[in-house]
Amino acid sequence: MNTVRRGSWVIALGALALAFGWHIAVGAKTIPLGTILEALVAYDRAIFDHVVIRDLRLPRALLAIGVGAALAVAGALMQGVTRNPLADPGLLGLLVGASFAVVLFHGFLGWGAAATIPVWAAIGALAGALTVWGVASAAPGGATPLTLVLSGAALTGFLGAIISMLHLIDEDTFENLRVWLTGTLAGRRTETALWALPWALAGLAVALGVARQVTALAMGEETATGLGVDVKRLQVAVLFSVVALTAAAVAVAGPMGFVGLVIPHVVRLFVGQDYRRIVPWSALAGALYMLLADIAARLVLAPIEVSTGLVTAFLGAPFFVWLVRARL
Amino acid sequence: MTVQQRDEAAAGCRALRIEDLSVGYGDVPVLEGLSLDVPDGALTAIVGPNGCGKSTLLKTMARVLRPSGGRVLLGDDPVHGIPTREVAKRLALLPQGPVAPEGLRVRELVAQGRFPHQSLLRQWSREDARAVDAAMAAADVAEMADRPVDALSGGQRQRCWIAMVLAQETPVLLLDEPTTFLDLKVQVDLMTLLRRIAHQEGRTLVVVMHELNVAAAFADRLVMMRAGRIEAEGEVAHVFTEENLQSVFDLDATVLHDPASGRPVCVPRVARPHLRAVAE
Amino acid sequence: MTEAILQRLEGAVTYRLPLRATVVAALLLCGSLVVLVVALMSGSFPLTAWQSLATLLGAAPSETATTVVWTFRLPRALVAAMAGALLALSGAILQTVTRNVLADPSLVGVSQGAGLAVVATLIAFPGTPAMLRPLLAFGGALAVAALILWISARRTGGATMRFILTGIGVAAFISACTSALLTYGNIDRALAALGWLAGSVHAAGWGEVRSLALGLLVLVPLLVWGARPLAALRMGEDIATGLGAAVARDRRILVVFAVASAAFAVAAVGPLGFVGLVAPHIARRLARSGPGLHLVLSAAAGALMVSAADLLGRTLFAPVQLPAGLVTAVIGAPVFVWLILRRQARGQL
Repeated sequence: MNTVRRGSWVIALGALALAFGWHIAVGAKTIPLGTILEALVAYDRAIFDHVVIRDLRLPRALLAIGVGAALAVAGALMQGVTRNPLADPGLLGLLVGASFAVVLFHGFLGWGAAATIPVWAAIGALAGALTVWGVASAAPGGATPLTLVLSGAALTGFLGAIISMLHLIDEDTFENLRVWLTGTLAGRRTETALWALPWALAGLAVALGVARQVTALAMGEETATGLGVDVKRLQVAVLFSVVALTAAAVAVAGPMGFVGLVIPHVVRLFVGQDYRRIVPWSALAGALYMLLADIAARLVLAPIEVSTGLVTAFLGAPFFVWLVRARL
Repeated sequence: MTVQQRDEAAAGCRALRIEDLSVGYGDVPVLEGLSLDVPDGALTAIVGPNGCGKSTLLKTMARVLRPSGGRVLLGDDPVHGIPTREVAKRLALLPQGPVAPEGLRVRELVAQGRFPHQSLLRQWSREDARAVDAAMAAADVAEMADRPVDALSGGQRQRCWIAMVLAQETPVLLLDEPTTFLDLKVQVDLMTLLRRIAHQEGRTLVVVMHELNVAAAFADRLVMMRAGRIEAEGEVAHVFTEENLQSVFDLDATVLHDPASGRPVCVPRVARPHLRAVAE
Repeated sequence: MTEAILQRLEGAVTYRLPLRATVVAALLLCGSLVVLVVALMSGSFPLTAWQSLATLLGAAPSETATTVVWTFRLPRALVAAMAGALLALSGAILQTVTRNVLADPSLVGVSQGAGLAVVATLIAFPGTPAMLRPLLAFGGALAVAALILWISARRTGGATMRFILTGIGVAAFISACTSALLTYGNIDRALAALGWLAGSVHAAGWGEVRSLALGLLVLVPLLVWGARPLAALRMGEDIATGLGAAVARDRRILVVFAVASAAFAVAAVGPLGFVGLVAPHIARRLARSGPGLHLVLSAAAGALMVSAADLLGRTLFAPVQLPAGLVTAVIGAPVFVWLILRRQARGQL
């Protein structure tokens, strides 16, 4: 059994490495794998391709890995804790909350620098999550998949309209935010990424720490309490982890929809219901998925690049429809 | 339609008959080869264990479902062969657990029963008003005419729905579990109302029921179903027997008779192991 | 002789008109007219009420007033009112047919489907005459409606809840397609499409007025027929069957009506959000009525809502013009939340 597990990890990491290499190779000019390895191992500032790889493509590939892993883990935790197959940072209002906060504080009011972007994103994601959860819980029947998704849709419609209004009122500031708002990994944001990294790592650490208890909570609050889980504390920890992960992802890449929905479901098919395995596998699968989605974003309509967020929505929305049909 | 016309129409199409009826969902057969003559001007109750197909039978009689074989005859016309609005003037259906649109008033709900008698140009007439008033009086909901249906209690709400199908003024009425989930007293009131409709107005009622003793107390005839077949059918006194309860419901019960009405009542036998042990 | 005819008429043609609902409908229409006059007055070239009315009647105080009113403000105000009425009709029909107060053409992707069809054509065949837009929009919207109904159909209960959720998913998918097309397409043309996608009556002219008027002229007589089947369908499928309605046929026809009215509106002003949700709701709150009059009330409320939204959008942050669709979304989303909170826990969804 252990060899099987180890074997599957080796295969998965191999696939990730392959996708990583492919991701770096793809672009305006296709770079052969040999040059990529060279640039990573023996960097030579004089070779133009090496500079391209080091300064543009490598950071983008690392961003894709980080964003994919963060969103997938956030989605997995949300699905476990809310026992809702349709939970996802995008559907439940975290992405739009984070985007709105960044647009308002950073873009419109011009507060702070790169370091504060993840902070604004975290505040927005938290407010979004609490709003959607509050509305859904107050609805008759409580926080069901239906009321949660509906409240999320309402918040997305409302904040989306306000973001567009801010955009129209102050067009100059918004030109660079416009692409970011569709979810993209293009453009260098190394500074923001460095400031977002601690958030992502903290969120991931908490996620791994509480995974065992989430497995218990997935069986129901009363069962979990009976098994000795402090449900309230666990929920707070999960909320922190989800908000930190979402904030980090939004800060660097904008709202990237449906990643947190798709990946945990696919992972569950292979590894079962134990969150000690779902969380790390989601991180890995999310990273792989995001690398592939970003490759597709640059290949499907080449030479024009589509926003990566559109690719994930394009793939994720039909999956959502299928989930609704199959599970509800 | 004048009263005279209605009586003539009624005389021509009274009887409701089922001939060799088969119904299935997809490939799964639910009813197979059922035949039944429903007596006129009487209250017929269909009973049977859960999943025996009694609701399917009623829905097929009301043309909500199409049969895979056989037919339902309303007078001489096949229910599934004549225009649906024509059927609606002769046969009314109250499905199980109906839900009224939010905020609808009782009078508006009852008025909806006039639908088959109206048309694009003729949306409301004195005849409609008379029928609605009569139906509300018969079902005893006239006092709550202007209250929203969703603010009423379960029993009151069910009376309103019965008033709606009464306003349809059809000689045949089909009701699917009209008394389920209600208090016994409310069930008794509703069944008294349905009996009165059958006997005083001479209409033919077919009611799917859950409560055996309530069915036995109020129905004129009983139809017992099991696994998509009719196992027993006839006068209550002849059908409601210990043998039939055992074979249809797997129910070990004693059938007693109410000394006042002569109606049968079943009482489940409680296993008393210590007594049996002593006897042995 | 006359008496005999009257008597026959009295027997053959009979309607009931609830007083309150009729009065409310009239008031809503008056409100739309008032907003129309205010819309004619306001802008960078202000007019008084008398001046704008005089311009309408052909006694313009100045040449500029004629141009401003007849070329810009009047068609724009008319387009806003008519598009609002059509979207509200679409929402009201969908809500009654699906027995779900949350059904709205822009929530379940019908409007987005119309939008995608128009944007795709604009980018692939820029020369397509504007006349054909409603037809394209209708095709796109109908395809989406059929898709959602097909996916969410199942024999067991709970279909209306799946209908809404499926619609939300399909709407997200179509929005992604549209955005991708806009990235791909020629930027200038894409920008023109972008303004239209935000639900704007900004560029509306007499062409749009004609197309919307045609839509209303075709659809309104058909809805006189539709009121009756709607009355039966709102009671639920089994009861409607018992009452003698041809349920499957009527529902199909009514959904096509709803899709067509949304398509006409979207073709002219883009997918304006939440109108189909909010207007019928306002109508329900103001006056209770049968389904026929409810359609009239909803249409009037929709006309008033979009006219007012457009007026607010272009005066609130002048000279910046906010598309009416953003204003309706900001008004509509809280109403949507309120509807979620108030929904009765009885398995309606």
